[in-house]
Amino acid sequence: MMAEARAQDLREAVVEELCTAADEGLPLVVLVSDSTSTSSIAPFHTRFPDRLINVGIAEQNLLGMAAGLSLGGFISVTANAACFLTARSCEQLKTDICYSNTNVKLLGLNAGVAYGPLASTHHAIDDISILLGFGTIEVFAPSDGREAAQILRYALGHVGPVYIRMDNTALPVVHGPAYRFQPGRVDVVREGKDLTIFALGTLLHEALEAARALSARGVDVCVAALPSLRPLDADEVDRLAMATGAVVTVEEHSLHGGIGSIVSEILADRGHAVRLARQGIPQGEFAKAGPRGRIREYYGIDAAGIEQACRRLLGMEG
Amino acid sequence: MSGGVATTRENPFALAPSEIEARSREIRRSILQMNSAAGQGHTGADLSETDILACLFFRMMRYHPDEPRDPDRDRFILSKGHGVGGFYCTLAEAGIIDPALLTTYLRFDSALPGHPVRQKTPFVEINTGALGHGLSVAAGLALSARLSGRGFHVYVLLGDGELQEGSNWEAMMAASHFMLGNLVAIVDRNTLQLADRTESIMALEPLAAKLKSFGFEVASADGNNPQEIVRVLTAFDKSGTRPHVLLAHTVKGKGVSFMEDQASWHHKIPVGDQLRQAIEELE
Repeated sequence: MMAEARAQDLREAVVEELCTAADEGLPLVVLVSDSTSTSSIAPFHTRFPDRLINVGIAEQNLLGMAAGLSLGGFISVTANAACFLTARSCEQLKTDICYSNTNVKLLGLNAGVAYGPLASTHHAIDDISILLGFGTIEVFAPSDGREAAQILRYALGHVGPVYIRMDNTALPVVHGPAYRFQPGRVDVVREGKDLTIFALGTLLHEALEAARALSARGVDVCVAALPSLRPLDADEVDRLAMATGAVVTVEEHSLHGGIGSIVSEILADRGHAVRLARQGIPQGEFAKAGPRGRIREYYGIDAAGIEQACRRLLGMEG
Repeated sequence: MSGGVATTRENPFALAPSEIEARSREIRRSILQMNSAAGQGHTGADLSETDILACLFFRMMRYHPDEPRDPDRDRFILSKGHGVGGFYCTLAEAGIIDPALLTTYLRFDSALPGHPVRQKTPFVEINTGALGHGLSVAAGLALSARLSGRGFHVYVLLGDGELQEGSNWEAMMAASHFMLGNLVAIVDRNTLQLADRTESIMALEPLAAKLKSFGFEVASADGNNPQEIVRVLTAFDKSGTRPHVLLAHTVKGKGVSFMEDQASWHHKIPVGDQLRQAIEELE
């Protein structure tokens, strides 16, 4: 897959796709909770002012109304910070969206520790864990703008609840123009035979940098993103893990209920033993607050930390 | 995409208040028998709301009983989901569900579970049971009607104790802000919640003033009197710009002397002689 020089904010790609879909006549409404700037929704708002609904700082009502609008025939798309979406309105998520199986698409903005120094009220290191605990909802974590737009497009066509874990920084577009997102599919971005890295969402970029550094030392690393957490091709995860026998999972998420848990369960279910290192925020802890890069460094989920985890797992330390 | 389009739907029964009363009696009898057979149920809540439900399904709401997915139907949301027994018995009385189904209430994987489930039962619009959810969903539905130019009305039945959930007040702000005149909330004001009187647990009064200050048109009625309920619901201007609320003053356990106004009958069921006496009192 060819990397492009161009960097793109995932939100920009998603909002552009929303405008395209609205132009095509899809019955969209976008709901925000005073989160117009968080969602970078201005281009949509300008073009479709009567389709942007701002409920104010009221996340419970945001989801209840989104469910109601979908029952009235609209495709509801909510756009607010992942921390408030999954925590403040957790019961609305469970009942009005997941249990009721309403046609609502949830953009979890600035997930993980994107809000770095704003501390744990604003971190969402538990969103995947919370959502996978509920029935029906499909859960996705794109790694670049191209994939984010494609996931949104899939979500708009899928009848039922969808969560999309979003980031707020401009990132290189790692997927080429031929890339086609498919729900469930594991996204192998780089082949390798010595070790497999599974990366969640935008940490793919750090994982690829680590793989390049390891390559320079003669270590051949497979890097696979997991953009589709539910559904998920578990057999493919197993195959990629067993092909190298050494697995490092990296996520800006708690080690409880994130991709470290998911990959471990897949292997355990099959009785397959591999060397395994799970990089993320240790379970039972809130993440440190501070600049995001510093937080990633602290938990060993930046490129250097991932590289080190790989070397340790392969017995290359020192 | 704005402005109401008149719906061609009518209520399939269009009953007069005295006829609604007769239906209420039948629904109450079903509730007692169903809950007694099931060995569980929120009997007090079911009996409290019976007359309101009867007025909606036999007079006010415009729908075809055999078209639960008709996009132009009026919507009803039972926000106080624990009143589901009264809801099922009303649906059975209206011929929407088979009355024989009532014997499956609360059984394993029943079409009639202990709170409303839209995937299971026709005319359940949203799954409720956790309190404080229905009004937001109703507001979303009401807004959808305006955006899509549909003329349906949205009715939502709230428990009074339920109003202690803060989410209701978020929804009220929104209903008023978005000028949802097609939204009609009804508060089953029986003054009792699970443990005791609402006013001793967490006071709601002055409730009418609070609702009015949130932008609602507020009216009160005897919530166990179909004539009064129909009069108020008919008088609401549902093509206007203010959402409406009916404070329906009800008696929990209405119709059965030893259940009336007793918090202890919130989720109790009549057994043996109690059932016989209760049914006799309804005659």
